[in-house]
This record gives sequence, C-alpha cells and structure tokens, in this order.
Amino acid sequence: MTRCHSDTIKKTMFDVNKIRGDFKILKRKVNGHDLVFLDSAASSQKPRQVINTVVDFWENHNANVHRGVHTLSVEATTMMDEARKKIARFINARPEETIFVRNATEGINLVAYSWGRKNLKKGDVIIASLLEHHSDLVPWQEMCRETGATLKIIDVDGNGQLKIDPPSRKASEGRSELREEDGVVCGPLSEILDENCKLIAVTAVSNVLGTLVQISEVRDQRSEKAPGALLLVDGCQLVPHMPTDVKKMGVDFLVFSGHKMLGPSGVGVLYGRKEILEKMDPFLFGGDMISEVKAGHSTWAELPHKFEAGTPDFAGAVMLGAAVDYLSEIGMENVRDHEKELIAYGLEKMKKLEEEGLVKVYGPLNAEERAGVLTFNVTGVHAHDAAQVLDKYGIAVRSGQHCGAPIVEFCGTSAMCRASFYIYNTKEEIDCLIEKIREVPKVFRIDN
Amino acid sequence: MDYKEEIIDHCKHPRNFGDLEDPKIIIREGNSSCGDMVEIYGRIVARKIEIIKWKGIGCAISTAAASMLSEKVVGMTKVDLEKFGEGGIIKMLGGEINVGRVKCATLAYKALLKLFDE
Repeated sequence: MTRCHSDTIKKTMFDVNKIRGDFKILKRKVNGHDLVFLDSAASSQKPRQVINTVVDFWENHNANVHRGVHTLSVEATTMMDEARKKIARFINARPEETIFVRNATEGINLVAYSWGRKNLKKGDVIIASLLEHHSDLVPWQEMCRETGATLKIIDVDGNGQLKIDPPSRKASEGRSELREEDGVVCGPLSEILDENCKLIAVTAVSNVLGTLVQISEVRDQRSEKAPGALLLVDGCQLVPHMPTDVKKMGVDFLVFSGHKMLGPSGVGVLYGRKEILEKMDPFLFGGDMISEVKAGHSTWAELPHKFEAGTPDFAGAVMLGAAVDYLSEIGMENVRDHEKELIAYGLEKMKKLEEEGLVKVYGPLNAEERAGVLTFNVTGVHAHDAAQVLDKYGIAVRSGQHCGAPIVEFCGTSAMCRASFYIYNTKEEIDCLIEKIREVPKVFRIDN
Repeated sequence: MDYKEEIIDHCKHPRNFGDLEDPKIIIREGNSSCGDMVEIYGRIVARKIEIIKWKGIGCAISTAAASMLSEKVVGMTKVDLEKFGEGGIIKMLGGEINVGRVKCATLAYKALLKLFDE
C-alpha cells in the first residue's frame, strides 16, 4: 500500500460530523447560541458510547471489586482488569505498571511521597520546568523543602519552547544563560543538569501555551549527564491528543487524567517502570494493597495493587477503558492530524487579528511545535472579561492562569484566554470564535 | 451575564485608585486562580473606616468592586462591613454575578475585612 493510499484511508475514517453526533452536549444551546466548546484542555466532553458503558456497569454489573466470589463481584473485577489492560496497551505499558489514581496530581504526589521521601537528601537536585502545571511543580517544591534537596527550573525561550539546548550547541556559544527566578536557579537543561539530579519532572505538552516539548532530547541529556536520574512526564495534554508510547519515550513515570480524554473525572493513571515501582513503598495503606495482615504487621500486595489502597473508582476505571476504546477506534494519529489542522487554522486567523492589534497570541506560532491549544488576550481586556463576553455567544474558553502561574507571568501578563481543541471541534467553530472576539473590545468601549 | 453600565464606568474610571499618604494599614490580597491582585491602603479612626485608597490588577468585575467599595465603606465599622457581606457586593454589582466570578467580585471585600485585623 502506498503512503498516499493509507493517508486517504486515514482521512476517510475521521469524520468530525459523525463524531459530533456521539456528543449530545454539543447540541445544547448556551445563552441562546449553539454551544462552541473550546475548553477540552480543562476537561473534555464524553461520547454516548462512554456514558452508556458506565450506565450499563451500574445497572447490570455493579459490585465491589477484588472482594467477592459471587458473580457480580467477579464481573466487576473482570471489567476493571480489562480496562486496565486496554489503558496499558494504549500507552504501550504492562498492566502491572498501570496504576489507577484519582488524577494526574495524585499520581505525581504518589511518586513524590513514595519515591521522593525515601530517596532524596540534601545535595540532591530535582529539575522541573517553567512550563509545568502547578500539579507538577508544587509537590516538588514541597519535597525539596522536606528533604533538603534543591529545585532547579528549565527555562523557556521567547517562543514558549523549553531551553533544552544539546551540549554541542551550548559549547559553541560558551556563555551562561542561568538566571534566578523566585530564589530558584533557572536555565537551559544543559546548564542545570549534572549527576546530582535525581529526577526530572517535565510536561510533554504545555497546558498553557500548547508547546510540544522534545521529551526525547530531555531523555538523551539525562542519559548522558545524569544516568541515575528518573524522568517523570506529565502526559495530561499528550495522552488524550496523540500517540503515546512509554517505551519509545523512555520515561520512568507518566501521569494523565481520565476526564481530559473522554473519560470520567476522579480517575487518572500513573505509569511507572516496573523495576522502579517494585522498589517503592506504598503511598496509601489499608485494604486491597496488602498481601498478608497480622495484628502487628503487614506485607504488601503485588503491583499494581500495592499502590491502590481502598475501594478504587472501579466504575470510573471501566468508563476510562471505554474512552480508550473510542479513541483507539478513531486512531490517535488521526486525532493529532485533526487537531494539528485546527491549530494551524486557528493560529493563521489569530495572527491576522494580532496584526490588527486586536489580540496578543502566546506560545509557538507553528502547528508543528504546538498542540491544539490557542492562547491569547484581547488587547486592553482582562481574560476573564473576554471569556465572559464570549460566553454570551455560547463560546466556552478558559481564562485565568490555567494552574500555570509561573509561565503566565513569564509571558508578561497576569491572565490569558485559552481556546483548546479536541476531536469534535471544527474550523467553523474557530471562525465563530474569531468573529466574536471582535465584539469583545466594543463591550468595554476600547478602540483598537 | 451582561456588563452593567456602572461596572464599565467604574472599570474605566476607578475611584480612589492610588496610594494613600501615611496609610495606617496596607492589605494585599490575591486570587491565585486568575492572577488578580488588590492592595488596599486604609485608615481606621474610632473603629470606623476613615479613608480607603487602593491599587490592583484585575478584571472588570474585581476592578469595579474595589472602586465601588472604596466609596461605599467609608464610615463603616467591622460589624457594618460584615453585615454588608458578600450578598451586599453582589447586589452592589447589579445582582448578577455567576459562580465563576464570585472570587473576582469579593477580592477587595476580603482585603477590606482584614483591615480590622491589623
């Protein structure tokens, strides 16, 4: 089969109108207008197939998992196990490496508390980046405070791209780019990374600017300069939107949340490399995570149950499994292609508004370097006010700091609007956004 | 939610905006979810607010709320201010603030309440 032929097949498989038909919520009116939902980076909508799965679960299979020998308990347990296998396959992990948590935040905290507390000491370094969501920054600030380790930050360039700078490029320039940010050393990875580093925590995709981070470059530098350091990747904006392969990426940990990928809120996943997870102590203690319990001591269950104390959100896990089925059916390459087309279109339209002085666009201006996240401010109008006016026309965009205060501040503002795209969004919706952005300054009587 | 004329007016021409010479009390209050910040400078005489000045960065709602409050609270005691409450703020802003904007609306009010704690 020629490449051209396979591309045609891929394209015909992706039918945005058919997909939209699966999302009943997209038919609703907001303030008298058709809903234009551009806030999937915060939380996605759910297709009928995924919702039906959880209805079917509650109505026909519900019982607690891992406890009973009766039929319903066995069915519920099997369904949760199947979901775990599907999710593991989706990211090319093993089921025992795929741990259900509440959300990505909990996954990161699990690593911080379980691995960090035991392994970090004064003199050690944790590296995070200026692009991190608060969930991948605050736990490391706290862990450094507790253990005496030092936090360092990978800096960002003017395009919103991480300064990774391969050592070869660095050597040719020969001048230091280190600076201090709120008392923390901030600079290109090549300058802050050495054998004292014990963990690098970095996002694959910025939730604020949409920047696609070159994880492979981070991994290669780690292997060269700090082979003992672990690599934790925040996959919240990666796993829902493009093919993800933990083995190819060479990461030690990956976290993501179910609700951003057509699944329910309350379920997320921590992937961890088996050899590392086996050496880690549990994070939470109690039922389901034990092997043997005596009055005075206990031993821990095998992976993944060692890290899943208490009754899990089994219905949520089953629903997330259905979400993975839905995405797999579409194909993650198709998902990325569709969103890339949307962001390219959105950037082009937004750049025209910028030339008119109507907006400021933040982040990489090239669709190759950017996920389906379009971040902007309307000139002279606070992000909340712009979002409020857009809502009047049924357009849902996020506004504020997007749990990424350091990068928002780095961009020289206090808040931003963010339109984010998913499988169900269309170019017509972007046209609608662009058209209504023109209404925003009028409300506040601003002449641009 | 529509922007009432009074909100736009206070937003474009904020009242009592600026420093207070020899302020007795300075309170800084931030809203971490949206990055808004307000700084209140005030003097309290005989348990009553004598004068308020303020500075800040924020949306139209938080700016208008701070501006309107800076006029409204002069002469109020802590009890008066507590009685005014968040309900009073919403009413003052035209009675139509959605739940996503309550933090914006009450930012300056929260700072004002702290005036009496200093």
